[in-house]
Amino acid sequence: MLQPGKAVKVTIYLSEGATHHGVPVYSRILDFLFYRGVAGATVLKGIAGFGADHHMHAASLLDVSDRLPLKIEFIESREKVDSLLGKLEEMCGSGLIELQETTVARPAQQSGQSRPAPPAHLKMEGRAQMMRIYVCEDDRWRDKQLYKALLEAMRANDIAGVTVYRGIAGFSAHRRPVKDKTPAATVTLCAVDTHEKLEAILPLVDQMVVEGLVVFSDVDIIKYAWRAADTEASPAQ
Amino acid sequence: MKEQIRGRIVRIHFGEDDRWQGKPLYEAILAKCRELAIAEAVVFRGIEGYGSGSRVRRKGHWTFSKDAPIQLSIIDTEEQIAHLLPILDTMVDEGLVVTSPVEMIRYTQSPAPPG
Repeated sequence: MLQPGKAVKVTIYLSEGATHHGVPVYSRILDFLFYRGVAGATVLKGIAGFGADHHMHAASLLDVSDRLPLKIEFIESREKVDSLLGKLEEMCGSGLIELQETTVARPAQQSGQSRPAPPAHLKMEGRAQMMRIYVCEDDRWRDKQLYKALLEAMRANDIAGVTVYRGIAGFSAHRRPVKDKTPAATVTLCAVDTHEKLEAILPLVDQMVVEGLVVFSDVDIIKYAWRAADTEASPAQ
Repeated sequence: MKEQIRGRIVRIHFGEDDRWQGKPLYEAILAKCRELAIAEAVVFRGIEGYGSGSRVRRKGHWTFSKDAPIQLSIIDTEEQIAHLLPILDTMVDEGLVVTSPVEMIRYTQSPAPPG
């Protein structure tokens, strides 16, 4: 949050057509500023101008109107600007960066006070196991699609999380090859939980999967969760 | 039938547009895996991502780019994977290969008549 008092205004001069790996440079810089928590930034579009190369670019000259000047402006504290400059210089390529001492009389007020700040989330780290089950999309278990049945079984057993992926091509040792157009794609279920919990449902998997592959690997997990629970003394009646 | 073995999973990340000798790289690698009788290989297409060279890969609505991120998962025993890795060296020009040890449980139906 910007404080009233001394600050630095940064202006970056770019060309509208400049891209980096197919992405417009200004949007890359804007994303960078956004995710580094800069207080605010504005992109301004010029209608005519020339740069270091002394080529005139103007909206009225059709053939050169794709390289119109752009200006990105933001105001931040000196320390913050210093921490951003290195990367900014690298990102703006041949563009010019200008720093200007300025004074913030009144920082912008955050609008939308009605929206409460999200509660701090909980970060948990630890070791767990990942179980991947490779089956065919049209494999069935008691009139149900096998992968759906497995998903339901894992959900019923409180497995922390499961994701189903459909492959676009693939094969396995004892099965016919599957490709995009054929109806039966290879499906992978990816489940993450503690070793004990996954071991506990393995007998169930043994029963359900007639043909397929299950692989286990150790994973380091970082889990984010809302602190919620105890703070939510539900007022709902 | 159930068998339990120690193995290795290889995941290869590259783009859908990547080619090897004129055909899509993932098809080429898949064919190679079949040749080596690798146990399991699946190709996944991601909806968005970036990777080597930080080229954004996106199957966009308004861009016509088809260069979606591709992830190939290959699973087999350590020996089989050791055979495969040098071949990948020659095929993947730009991409990422990650491997990790896994424990495999394979379910098979005892030799069924084809069809």
